[in-house]
Amino acid sequence: MKLKMMASALALSAMLVGAGISMSPTPVQAATLSGGFDVGPGGFQGNFNPLAATAGFTWLSVYFEPLVAYDEKLQKVVGVLAGSYEVSPDQLTYTFKLADAKWHDGKPFTSNDAKFTMGLAMDAKSGSVLAARLKAVASVEAPDEHTLVIKLSAPSASTLDTLTKVMMLPEHALSSIPVDQLAKNSWWSTKPIGTGPFKFTKYVTDQYVELAANTDYRGGKPALERVINRYFANPAAAIAALRAGEIQFTYVDSNDVSTFKGDEAFKVIEGDSFVVNYLGFNHESPIWKDVRVRKAVMYAINRDAIIKSLYSGAAKPADCAYVVDQLIPQDIDNYAYDPEKAKKLLEEAGWAQINGDKPITLLTYYTTPLATNVLAAVQAMLAQVGINVVPRAVDTPTYNSIVLNPKPDVAQFQLVYAGLQNGPDAGSINVGLNEKQIPPAGPNVVRARMPELNAALDAALAEPDASKRDTLYQDVCKVMNTNLPWATLWVANRYGVVSAKVKDFIWTPAPGGGPYQAHPEKWSIGE
Amino acid sequence: MLQYSLRRLIIGAGMLVALSMLIFLLLRLTPGDPIDAYIDPNIPMAPGQLAQLRSQLGLNKPLPVQYLAWLKQALTGNLGFSIKRQDQPVLSLVLSRIGPTVVLMGSALIIAIVVGIVTGVVSAVRRNSATDVSCSIFALIGISSPAFLSALIGLYVFAVRLKWAPSGGMLTPGAEFSLGDLLQHLVLPAALLSIAQAALIMRYMRSSLLEVLNQDYVRTARAKGVREFWVIAKHALRNALLPVVTLIGSTIGLAIGGAIFIESVFNWPGMGLLLVNAVEARDYPVIMGATLIIGACVIAVNLATDITYALIDPRIKVG
Repeated sequence: MKLKMMASALALSAMLVGAGISMSPTPVQAATLSGGFDVGPGGFQGNFNPLAATAGFTWLSVYFEPLVAYDEKLQKVVGVLAGSYEVSPDQLTYTFKLADAKWHDGKPFTSNDAKFTMGLAMDAKSGSVLAARLKAVASVEAPDEHTLVIKLSAPSASTLDTLTKVMMLPEHALSSIPVDQLAKNSWWSTKPIGTGPFKFTKYVTDQYVELAANTDYRGGKPALERVINRYFANPAAAIAALRAGEIQFTYVDSNDVSTFKGDEAFKVIEGDSFVVNYLGFNHESPIWKDVRVRKAVMYAINRDAIIKSLYSGAAKPADCAYVVDQLIPQDIDNYAYDPEKAKKLLEEAGWAQINGDKPITLLTYYTTPLATNVLAAVQAMLAQVGINVVPRAVDTPTYNSIVLNPKPDVAQFQLVYAGLQNGPDAGSINVGLNEKQIPPAGPNVVRARMPELNAALDAALAEPDASKRDTLYQDVCKVMNTNLPWATLWVANRYGVVSAKVKDFIWTPAPGGGPYQAHPEKWSIGE
Repeated sequence: MLQYSLRRLIIGAGMLVALSMLIFLLLRLTPGDPIDAYIDPNIPMAPGQLAQLRSQLGLNKPLPVQYLAWLKQALTGNLGFSIKRQDQPVLSLVLSRIGPTVVLMGSALIIAIVVGIVTGVVSAVRRNSATDVSCSIFALIGISSPAFLSALIGLYVFAVRLKWAPSGGMLTPGAEFSLGDLLQHLVLPAALLSIAQAALIMRYMRSSLLEVLNQDYVRTARAKGVREFWVIAKHALRNALLPVVTLIGSTIGLAIGGAIFIESVFNWPGMGLLLVNAVEARDYPVIMGATLIIGACVIAVNLATDITYALIDPRIKVG
């Protein structure tokens, strides 16, 4: 009897499981685009608060909007919620004429909302990560409903770049929450409202975020009905979902790109990462004091070979922090691979006495297979000239705890393999190289103390005229190329893959995810 | 029995406190704290802002003070707030993940028990046959395949190549809930999670049944003319199951370890995924809360196993 019951129970569960398998996939409504929008270095899964966002702007800007954003090629800043804007000749006054926009709840977007948002962004108590970058702002005024005036205490070339990251927030929904409680409020992940082409509908913890078309969008009714942002533990999981047809878009690591090339079902999107990779010399370690040693490191590494074999050619060698033509002066050294010259320089500097073959820790937060291969190659090339580096890859919190420590243990990171944003605003590199940014003040983790470099960076940042500024950044490039605060390596391309069914999709691997004008209202999906 | 259970419960509570202390210490020995995990090295923070964030979270206080503050809160049932998801209390975060994990582990356990016992019995009865040898080979492969490896291979073969099952998640995003949809998402991770346990159960079942089949009372039953099916089902199997039940109980802890991998690979929104994300973000309150609850579950399951053991075999007296 018991056996019979067991047998029936088994049969029943088998039927149940069988039913599950044989059922066709639960249909998702047409006109829905699913993607891994927060996969990869530009994403920030689980963050809903734009004030706290250090990345993830590709997704946030589908439902929130800033006053201004980069164009899709990341070349110039254009108006979004600001229909137009003007900068005074002295570069101290920014006047924005606001577009006629509505919040997702139907209330009008006004200059008071913009002023309110600027107040939150400038106040570190709100949890804003933008406060430090907005410290040049002296006042924000709203003379009428459609005008916002921002006055600076001193010209700052990076103001517009920073403003692209300030997503406008509704005063009527947030003003009742105390500023220091704002980050802890559940509004962000339950009922946020923006002005963008899609509106927030739901978040299923750690699974996905769903947005629905904002039919009243000022730029026209979106072509898609819904956009879904799926969360993935890593890019490989997102690729599996892309191949299985569950999502239509994701960022992919460069070593996976080749598997999509030539496949008609997908389109590969390639773009500049705007991140310069470098070997950062820890300037508190005596072994790097002699510039000849630093030069030897540059000559010893065959960057072209690494780019060709590991990046499949999709990277540009960097002889300073920049690779864009207008920022590179004519007469810089391109440090062509020359191990003999490296050996000679090391000998002249007395490397045998300075360090000899003692192991040098090369710390990095890059843990991808590509980075592991790059470091293995670097290790082998440096070993050939007599520099014995030992790569150590750790997770980001461990890396930060070591390099940002105000009293660092130099032995743990005599050398770092890292990346730093070098554009679209060329001034972005200042934080990693200016002496004023040595921890705890900022992330100059290599503790570069080079007066000539500080002066060049300060001059470029303070220059209001764009074309003169480029010349000043050339000076920065020249100083970097001569003094080598870092051994600069390359700027690699990054990739996204989108299903061929998706039309008018705009994406670029912008640092931090942009924001840039992606026009989500135009995205559509065919059969 | 009651006295025994009570005593075990008290010991269990003591073990939980010890566990929380150990996890707390291990966490603080791990390099990097929640602030280090949160900041992007490329973004300048205002001087003092990092220190301010740390003091807001109480991370600047001495360790014993921090631990006691946590314990005091925990004893009142308050496990604090997540640091990464600032608006979510740890208790509700963890509780919302127990369901999916129980569904995943429960289904895996059922598959493992059914497959393990059936193949174990078949192998023992048909000892040294081709069936036995192939079952044993599969069991060996199953035992020696780590969960992360079988999960990745399974994902590639069944989800990406054959498209028999979705590649991850618990429900189709944007679709209404349906049992069929849940089962479709469940079947692959549950089957993969069950492999190691099924293999282990099979091996134990086989050797235990072989041992029992040589016992006198089995021979007596056969001599009495009882049909072979009933000899095995009624006389041998019940006795052979004893060590297997113990094994099943003690492998629950192991299964939780496997579930952490499976949940990460398949993006299953359970405790494992929560823990992995929390460790990456150094989200101390979530790690503490989740390990405490997992620890409590393991202790409870072990207690339940001991009690089941006594129920199956009345000769065993507890207390």
